[in-house]
Amino acid sequence: MKTIKYYTMILVSACLLTFVVASCNKDIEMLEELKPLQPTDIDEDAENWASVNNDATDVTLAKIITAAETAPKIFDPASDLASVQNVESDAYKAELTAIVDLQKNLTGAQKKAIEYWSAGGVMRWNQILRGLVAKYNLPPAPKGDGSYPVPDAENPFGDPNFPFANPPYASRSYAYVSVAQYEALKAAWHYMYVYERPSPFKVQNSGVKSLMPETDLPAYPSYDAVLSGVTAEVLKLMFPAALEEITLKAAEQRNAALWSGRATSSDIAKGLALGKSVASLMANRARNDRMGTAGGNKAMWKALEDGAIAKQEVPWISLETPKRPPMLPFFGLRDAASQEDNKGVKTWIMTKAEIIDNRPVPPSTSSNEMKDEVAEVKWYSENLTRERLAIVHKWADGVNTHTPAGHWNDIMTEYVRDANWSEVRAARAYALLNITMHEAAVACWDTKFYYFNPRPSQMDQNIKTGTGVPNFPAFTSGHSTFSGSAAAILSYLFPADTDYFEAEAKEASYSRLYGGIHYRSDVEMGYDHGQVVGGFVRNFAENDGADGD
Amino acid sequence: MTKPLLVLLLAVCSHAVFSQNLTDGLMMKKNLFCTGLMYSNDQWEDYWEGTLERDNGNIGKIRTQSLMWGGVYGITDKINVIAMVPYMKIDASEGTLHEMKGLQDLSIGVKYNFFQKNFEKSSFNTFAVFNFSTPLSDYSPDFFPLSLGTQTTNLSYRLTANFRIEQGWFINASGAYTWRSNTTLDREGYYDGDEYILSDEVEMPNVFDVFVSLGYLKGPLQAELQYIQMNTLGGSDITRQGMPFVSNRMNFIKTGVLVMYYPPFVKNLAVRGGYTTTLAGRNVGDSNTFMLGAFYTFNFSREKIQSSTPTTTN
Repeated sequence: MKTIKYYTMILVSACLLTFVVASCNKDIEMLEELKPLQPTDIDEDAENWASVNNDATDVTLAKIITAAETAPKIFDPASDLASVQNVESDAYKAELTAIVDLQKNLTGAQKKAIEYWSAGGVMRWNQILRGLVAKYNLPPAPKGDGSYPVPDAENPFGDPNFPFANPPYASRSYAYVSVAQYEALKAAWHYMYVYERPSPFKVQNSGVKSLMPETDLPAYPSYDAVLSGVTAEVLKLMFPAALEEITLKAAEQRNAALWSGRATSSDIAKGLALGKSVASLMANRARNDRMGTAGGNKAMWKALEDGAIAKQEVPWISLETPKRPPMLPFFGLRDAASQEDNKGVKTWIMTKAEIIDNRPVPPSTSSNEMKDEVAEVKWYSENLTRERLAIVHKWADGVNTHTPAGHWNDIMTEYVRDANWSEVRAARAYALLNITMHEAAVACWDTKFYYFNPRPSQMDQNIKTGTGVPNFPAFTSGHSTFSGSAAAILSYLFPADTDYFEAEAKEASYSRLYGGIHYRSDVEMGYDHGQVVGGFVRNFAENDGADGD
Repeated sequence: MTKPLLVLLLAVCSHAVFSQNLTDGLMMKKNLFCTGLMYSNDQWEDYWEGTLERDNGNIGKIRTQSLMWGGVYGITDKINVIAMVPYMKIDASEGTLHEMKGLQDLSIGVKYNFFQKNFEKSSFNTFAVFNFSTPLSDYSPDFFPLSLGTQTTNLSYRLTANFRIEQGWFINASGAYTWRSNTTLDREGYYDGDEYILSDEVEMPNVFDVFVSLGYLKGPLQAELQYIQMNTLGGSDITRQGMPFVSNRMNFIKTGVLVMYYPPFVKNLAVRGGYTTTLAGRNVGDSNTFMLGAFYTFNFSREKIQSSTPTTTN
């Protein structure tokens, strides 16, 4: 009897021990790991690549140069070229010595910062931006009286935080950051080849080591510092409550450029100044792009509802409790009758006529087709398999996520990493993708609020959903439009994987039907609409001079 | 049937939520197998968003119903094996979110009565429990508050002390540290309330719990008052107006009552009910739970065991 007891005890203890040893490690496997960037081509001619220039406030290289060479001048090549190029001056030598000293005593944290930023600032900032979007993608909580407070840019730390980084807001943020980075880097490339001052590690007998992959890119101004300056300033405008995080990251990026021997303090100072200067031009566009009025007001919301009723359609009603005003109803809506483009956030590429002409047409809410579509959604609701729920959740991209636009940035980042592009060409890719999805957001929000169509759960209250029902009209699906447009521009950038992008975009689209929050027509017409939108940006990209022909 | 055996049967099958077999101070005699079904119904309307208690019109009342099979087998008088399999269904009274249902986690525990001291009119016992649980279905851990669970494999290390006097009064105290494996989402990035993580894997904080009960156990009736506390050792709060996330810091203090009755007209059958209510919480629902179950004990011993003395209940 005693032997059996001890035997059991030993067995149990052995089991316990095995589990403990096998299970201590909780390190998670990170996806989207980046590696030190060694561009295969440094794109010396990048300054010649076309800028978006369809609006008086658009930022072009010419405007950036004018600003940078207007008093107080950041650059003055006519008078300072020789002094900047003189790597034998005492002042410059002192800067080199400072780097040599710094490199002697690098801490582990500093080495980590060098490694982190050596992956490329464009990709790193994109990751950071996606994190900010996710953090600020929270709808305001209702007040005691059932009304909802509006996020206030002047009180970003309040409840609610500013911004509510919902899909349209996020798509606009991605676009501003990406376009600002792209234009700033083109300007950096311009001045780098005006001054042609080498990186410190390339200066003979400087004693400076190169702690990042070496390139032949000149160092004045430091493009890392340009990126840090332009990105931090635009981000602070978009996410003012994240000031601390943003400025710390930006400073770290500049320090990494210094510690790694890639740039001296004067390279960095000029880069920072140029970056900030570009950001201020972009801020001027952002302050005048009508985002501030995209929320509308009570009378305007009522007019949307009355408009749908007048067309003998069932108007959209919020499914939230208490009922929440629709999400940014005037983000996209274009008014054909109006002489000026007086509603809707400013586009980058598409014109008002192009938005209106490509607007899809839904089945009437009273049609038999609609009845069939409601029945189909109900079937998916009643037959929500685990496999379909996984697809719904893979693409849900709802509250506290990077949004659908962020998801496509996530998808593209591995491709950019593997392409080994220069920073400026990487910035072009993000600019093209995010301009595309911004236009998709505008075009989709125009469609949604032009028709003001109800969600499936409004048409049939028994339709239960695998994810939250977004608080805006159904037709067309935002996910489908974003994804269709993203697949179109990614297929241009990475043509070998067109099939993959289209398959993913279609899965993203149908996930909304599987989840019970969209009808088939929302999904399929949304996808096609997105592809059309993507075509406009693709047409721009094919003629911007970056493809080398 | 002799009185000692009766007491034993009552003791073994005396816990409404079967998991209480893991926390109580009772043992099943060798070769006895107690098995049964337990229904529980848990509801909450208010919940703690971090430390803010609120309601939410988009979900209304969250109801969790569970039907659980449980079994306890006495390998020896001092070593028991305890197993549980719950089928769950969770729905929301308002809003559109789809109900979730299915088998949750299989739990298997080994309980060892490693110390016993009998005094003239009382006894003191201590127990060590090792419990292993793992998901039985691939339910989603990314749909709280409707997810069936965390989709983690858990290892619990528990110590329990029990003091009992001859008149039937007892006090029982138990604490456990539970290691939880990481969990995996259907998406490749998430905001965990503190930072944005580029992974589908979520690091899960471990859990500590305390269970104290004070009660009476003699004859066909058992009654006890309970104090239950669970603390998640890490994790973030639910974001403002956000959805709960699997790795949130979920804490609660509950109190409850359990009553068991052993009907004299059916041999070896125990029925019982329980009720718990939440006193405080963080990132959990302010829930009330009632339970009802019935258990039957089989004797696999070749010989009648009525002559044996119950190890912990006399």
